[in-house]
Parts: sequence; C-alpha cells; structure tokens
Amino acid sequence: MNAMQTPVIDTATLQPRITAQDVQVYYGSNHALRDVSVDILDRTTTAFIGPSGCGKSTFLRCLNRMNDTVATARVEGRITLDGQDIYDKRVDPVQLRARVGMVFQKPNPFPKSIYDNVAYGPRIHGLTRSRAELDEVVEKSLRRAALWDEVKDRLSAPGTGLSGGQQQRLCIARAVATGPEVLLMDEPCSALDPIATAQVEALIDELREQFSVVIVTHSMQQAARVSQKTAFFHLGNLVEYGDTTQIFTNPGDPRTESYITGRIG
Amino acid sequence: MTETPHIASSFDREIEALLARLVLMSGLVETALTDSAAALESLDTAAATRIVDQDAAIDSLDEQINFEAAGIIARRGPTARDLRLILAVMRASAALERVGDLAKNVAKRTLPLSQIRQVEGATGTIRRMARLVAVMLEEAMRALVRKDAALAADVRGRDVDIDQIYNTLFRSLLTHMLENQANITPAMHLHFIAKNIERAGDHATSIAEQAIYLATGDLPDDERPKADSTLQAANPRT
Repeated sequence: MNAMQTPVIDTATLQPRITAQDVQVYYGSNHALRDVSVDILDRTTTAFIGPSGCGKSTFLRCLNRMNDTVATARVEGRITLDGQDIYDKRVDPVQLRARVGMVFQKPNPFPKSIYDNVAYGPRIHGLTRSRAELDEVVEKSLRRAALWDEVKDRLSAPGTGLSGGQQQRLCIARAVATGPEVLLMDEPCSALDPIATAQVEALIDELREQFSVVIVTHSMQQAARVSQKTAFFHLGNLVEYGDTTQIFTNPGDPRTESYITGRIG
Repeated sequence: MTETPHIASSFDREIEALLARLVLMSGLVETALTDSAAALESLDTAAATRIVDQDAAIDSLDEQINFEAAGIIARRGPTARDLRLILAVMRASAALERVGDLAKNVAKRTLPLSQIRQVEGATGTIRRMARLVAVMLEEAMRALVRKDAALAADVRGRDVDIDQIYNTLFRSLLTHMLENQANITPAMHLHFIAKNIERAGDHATSIAEQAIYLATGDLPDDERPKADSTLQAANPRT
C-alpha cells in the first residue's frame, strides 16, 4: 500500500474504542492536562499534535497507564477501553498494556535475540501453549511489522544489532505480538531516516485496518499523511479534534491554524 | 500584511512575492481586455497587433507563478489558509491566463474586421461589456488579496449583468445576419468576440469563488447565478 495515499474511510460509522471524559493530569501541583474529552475510534489512526509541553504525550501515556510509573503524576476523570474503566482498581496495568501497546520515540529493543524480543510479551502473558504456537506468533508479528523477510534467517541474532528503522519495526512487532486492541506510538519516526519513516508509515496504515493506532508526532506532514483523525493540544488543553483533512485544510480554531501553518500565536 | 507572520519570515516573503506577481499579471490582463475592446471600436489594427504580441508576457507570468507555487509546496508543505492561498493563486493564475488568451483573440479578430463592412452599435456594447468585466477582474483580485468574501460574493453576483448584455447582443447580431447576408461574416466575428468577453466574465467569477474559498475554506455551494438565455433563442423573430 502506498503510504502517501490517505485511505478513504468513513469515520462516522466507526465505534469508539477508548473514551476519555474530563481527564485531568497533575504532576505535583502542575496541572498539565485539563478537561480532555475525546473518543479514540476503532480501526482509525488518530494523530496527536501540538508544541512541546502541550500535554499530548502526557495524554497518550494516560491511555495505557504509563503515568502510573511517574511518582508525582495524578490522573482524574474517566478513561474507558471497550466500556471498561482502565483506572478501576481491579484492572492490572500490565494486562492493560498488553491490550494497549506502546512504541516509543527511540527504538528500545531488549538486549535479547530478535526472536526473544517478540516472544517476550506472549511469554509473560502466557498467551501461547507450545513452542510451535509461539514460533507462529513471532513470525506473524514480524510479518505484520514488515520485518520478517529481513530477519527470518537470523532470529537468534541480537535485536540491538539491527538498523534504526529495523529496530523500530522490531519494537512494533513486539507491541503487536500480544494482540493489542490499541497501539500507542510516541513520535515513532523521529529517530528514523525518510526510508525507514515511509516503511513505518506504510505499516501504521496496515495496522490501522486491524485496530486503533494513536500517534504523537511533531511532523505536520506525517500527521496529515497517516491519520484520519487529528487532535491538537495546546497548553494542556485539547483545542480541536476532527477529521484530519479538515484540520489541515480548514481548521476551526485560530490556535490550530497558527500552529499548523507555523505562525506565532 | 496584517496577519500574524510565520515563524520562518522567508515563508511570508515568498507568499508576498507570489501574490505580487499575480497582481501584476491581473493588471496586464485587465489592460489587454479593455484595450482589445477599444482597438476593436476604433478599428486600430496597430493597437490590436500590440495586444496580440503582449500576450506572451502574460503567459510567462503564469508559468513563473506555477513554478514558484510548486516550489513553495515542495519547500514549505503549506497547510490550512497557506495551502488554500497557494491553491487559489494557482487557479486564479490559470483563469487570468485564459482571459489573456481571450483578449488576444478579440484583438486578432479586429484585423479581418477592419477590412470588411461594419455592423452598427455592436462594438460600443462590446467595449462597455469589456470594461465591466475588467472591473470584475480587478475587484475579484482585490477580494482574493484581502481575503474579502463579501466583496467576492458581490463580484460573483455581477456575472448575470454580463450574461444579459451578451444575450441582447446575441439577438441583435442574429437580427443583422437575418436582414442581410453581407452582415454574416462581421457578425460572426463580433459574436465570437462577445462570447470571449462573456467567458472572461466567467473567469472573473471563478477568481471571486477562489477568494471565497480562501477566506472561508469552502466554495460557495449554491448554483452560481446564470442568465444565458441564448440556448432558447432559435430565431429572434419567433
């Protein structure tokens, strides 16, 4: 599939996967995110854009409770995944993160073999019963991440020995191995060259056909290329959320306009 | 420019240079249009020849505008109102280039017309029509540069007047041809000329529509007012 081609998707018919209502995030006394309410749709790529410190990564990290790992962080409001409150005491954050996977800015493969990197999630979550089944999950995940053909003959080689773009695709394979419903990506291409970026973007579009993808990016062009929905954050507020085409051709809020056109605002 | 500047000020300079070129082009086109109608009325073949020659300058500006606009798209990846501006400028430039060609065609037809019998009254009407279209062009361009949707809507509404003048002229030329076969050749030329100017009015209207798109993000969705009734006119005497 051509990554430069925006697929025509009628987002009006898609159901929300994640629903956030009045989400507030505090880091100590700093009110970092205010009153964020948004639906993350099924089988849709949603881009979060905004200047540094606007709260977009903070919000992304709320969606799989990564902020639990920050001692001073406090999250209020309600975030549901398929109708279930993810901040409910009965929800195990580790289980949650198997359903809401994450890929980070810098490729961070474990210092293990390519195989073990991908097998890690299925193993700790006990998703497979036999070695043959695990082999199958590893192959399927590497294929989904468009990496299989490049690594199938050296699965026992260390993941850290791959190129930057391959490492990032390995991390994507690792994230999809647990069969997540939502994939969160925090600037997944910022450390990649244009070729690896194009590969990851093509991949995002394929993954989007199976589940929701949420991507934080500083590249306006990338947001416009890969997403169907865009959310613009500014000073801890969700300023505007809408169809990507509309946001990039005719945004509703002057702050969005100023930001995406590169004006001081 | 009263708008908030870009963080990269060179982007603003590129956009201003592009707009300046479009304004220069529209000035040349307006002059070509009114001058071609004036040359027709006075059967000034020297002026007509000059207008034909000067069209190359208009074509060259259109080429430069397209080249620069493509460069801005490649370098800046414009979005939102910047993107709409680049698109509007490219479309306006194409419309102006067409009006330049139409004016050139008016001038070309002046040369044979100067050799044959005259049809009374037509050239004066054509000159008035050309002047109205030139004003529409000028104001559509002003609406585009100032992002003035109200002025653009006003210009768009005026295309009906041009259509009505054209309708009247069409009937009058048809009458001349029916009355005397010797009128057919000049009346056919004059009809093509009138049609050219009526088409130039349509191009002015399309520039006004681009100004509305630029200012509001939407093209007007209502059917544009039309008054061309010549489709029904089989015979002016019936």
